[in-house]
Amino acid sequence: MTEKISKRVIFAFVITSLSIYLVFVLNPDGALRILLNLLTFAGIYGLSAIGLNVHFGWTGLLNFGHASFMGVGAYVTLLLMPHAAGREGEVTSTGLPFLVALIIGIMSAALFGLLLGLPAIRLRGDYLAIVTIAAAEIFRLLVRDLESITGGVYGIINYTENFQQYRPMFIDKFSESNAFSPSQAWVCLAAWVSILLTVLFLKRLNNSPWGRALRAVREDEDAVRAMGKNAVWLKLQSFMLGAGIAGLSGVLLAFNYGSLETTVFVPLLTFYVWAIMILGGVGSITGPIFGSILFWVIISETDRLAYLLFENANGQQLAGVRFLLVGLLIMLLMIFRPSGLLGKKEELLLDVK
Amino acid sequence: MLDQLGNGLLLGIIISVASVALSLLYGVTRIVNFAHGEIIALGAIATLFFSSPVDYRVLFLDKFSPLGLNFAFSCILAILVCGLFGGLLEVLLFRPLRKGEVGNIAVLVVTIGLSIFIRHLYLLFATGRVQNFPLELERRQTYLFFDMTPRNFNVLIAGIVVMSIVGLLLTYTRLGKAMRAVRDSEELSSISGINSDNIILFTWISSSMLAGLAGIFQAVINDVRWNMGFLILLLIFAGTVLGGIGTSFGAMVGGLLIGILVQVSVGLPFMEGHTEAKNAVALGIMILILLFRPQGIFGKKERIS
Repeated sequence: MTEKISKRVIFAFVITSLSIYLVFVLNPDGALRILLNLLTFAGIYGLSAIGLNVHFGWTGLLNFGHASFMGVGAYVTLLLMPHAAGREGEVTSTGLPFLVALIIGIMSAALFGLLLGLPAIRLRGDYLAIVTIAAAEIFRLLVRDLESITGGVYGIINYTENFQQYRPMFIDKFSESNAFSPSQAWVCLAAWVSILLTVLFLKRLNNSPWGRALRAVREDEDAVRAMGKNAVWLKLQSFMLGAGIAGLSGVLLAFNYGSLETTVFVPLLTFYVWAIMILGGVGSITGPIFGSILFWVIISETDRLAYLLFENANGQQLAGVRFLLVGLLIMLLMIFRPSGLLGKKEELLLDVK
Repeated sequence: MLDQLGNGLLLGIIISVASVALSLLYGVTRIVNFAHGEIIALGAIATLFFSSPVDYRVLFLDKFSPLGLNFAFSCILAILVCGLFGGLLEVLLFRPLRKGEVGNIAVLVVTIGLSIFIRHLYLLFATGRVQNFPLELERRQTYLFFDMTPRNFNVLIAGIVVMSIVGLLLTYTRLGKAMRAVRDSEELSSISGINSDNIILFTWISSSMLAGLAGIFQAVINDVRWNMGFLILLLIFAGTVLGGIGTSFGAMVGGLLIGILVQVSVGLPFMEGHTEAKNAVALGIMILILLFRPQGIFGKKERIS
């Protein structure tokens, strides 16, 4: 068994390396800069997919509102720090230090997970999907609507310095020699360090009694109840854990963009994360990392292909081509390889219980 | 308030027809079809393609010109196209999945992928612009208490007629009975000599035709957009859930209620200046319904959790 899995890890590793190599082949000029951009997004979305995997892969919860967890984390964190928001760009010059705001942001995302989870957890799989996607839409509409707090459609600006002031010197030196944007390099590093820490944490958790109980919930809830475990509370904890991880990735995403707009946390973001999770392997802790890199290589090269294929299409249409591919990817993977690169088929929960 | 009620009825009739279609499909196949919105949009986009004047050069990357057919004929043609599309989906995609014993959750995820895929095909080929059917502008008139254009009033009447017919067909024809039999138990109905594959195929076709009709309604009342189906999909879910998922009559009433609710909520005191959030009210109600009465208003009690 272990041998088989390690073979798959090597396979995933080779595929991912090949895809990065492809970036160099296709972009003789400026491949490193493209790669930095790609790896930043891959890190952030990969982290989010790891959170989603706690929901779907570990516990079997069909969460289609992942973007809202990311959004809650991002909005709470940014609004607690010095920033400017709204139509007039109203400046809030006082606020909490970055780390405190971040922790509160992550906790808010987890709390939102609990709030949504409390009622939703009682629902069957397909109903849960509808409820979570609706809740995410309500969140998005409220953010748009409550302009006095969230800046509404005008968004939030001038917040990146809160994070960038901690940028170590070596990043600047390293970026200078490679013509990188130092702020993005710092976000990229932060994303991958977060992934590393999260994966180590989850690996430890997975082998703990808690992790075993959680997987048991997915396999047979009644059996878990019979063993005297509180299945509902376990599910809720999993919902909070995944939501918290998503919140962290949402904050990182906000820092990767210079300004936060309401168009960021839309349902399509959720579907991106789903595609990454399925591609990487449902239920696998490290799978989303490979899935995310591979996914972003595919996406970034699709943009170029689309440009060649549809010469009289406008910018919006060209951007649509990547979503077209995301949809196709989700569909085909789910039909032909639901376990993705690293997932285990026997651990998949694909039927309504 | 009465104005909003009129608008609510119009939105309600769109959601209602679409909800009946969604509910019909769910009842027979147990598929929560996230690609439903895209079939709705197909109805509108196909009608636009058939009916727009030949020199109308916006659609389809400028590679194909519209056909410029008579409008009513275009609508019928578009509904047939939707039926064909639904039938093809069943034969090429969902029947193989069913035979391959792919689980319900996997199928749900497949419909989401399908929805994203088709929607962006529309964006690519039917442009991101907001477009209108080639119809003349009309003046509003008063019908009972409501002000609406004669065309929109006709849509309202047509919607009610169509849904009554669907309801009658489901209740009294052999086919309708067979559909309900397959819904209750696929195995038992095959034993009694019902070809469940054919019934499911027929369900896909009729559900898609109804969805296409809803799309045409939506386009007549509002406009044609590439993502029009996705924009209204959650409201359709809300209508279906409110009435009781799997029941046709419930979906009818639920859809109407949701439409009225969305529009009337604009007039509520605490919603003043927050028209953007009107859909949030309907979605919030849907979540509450699922919590406290998951079988909806008219649904039968079954295990939901």
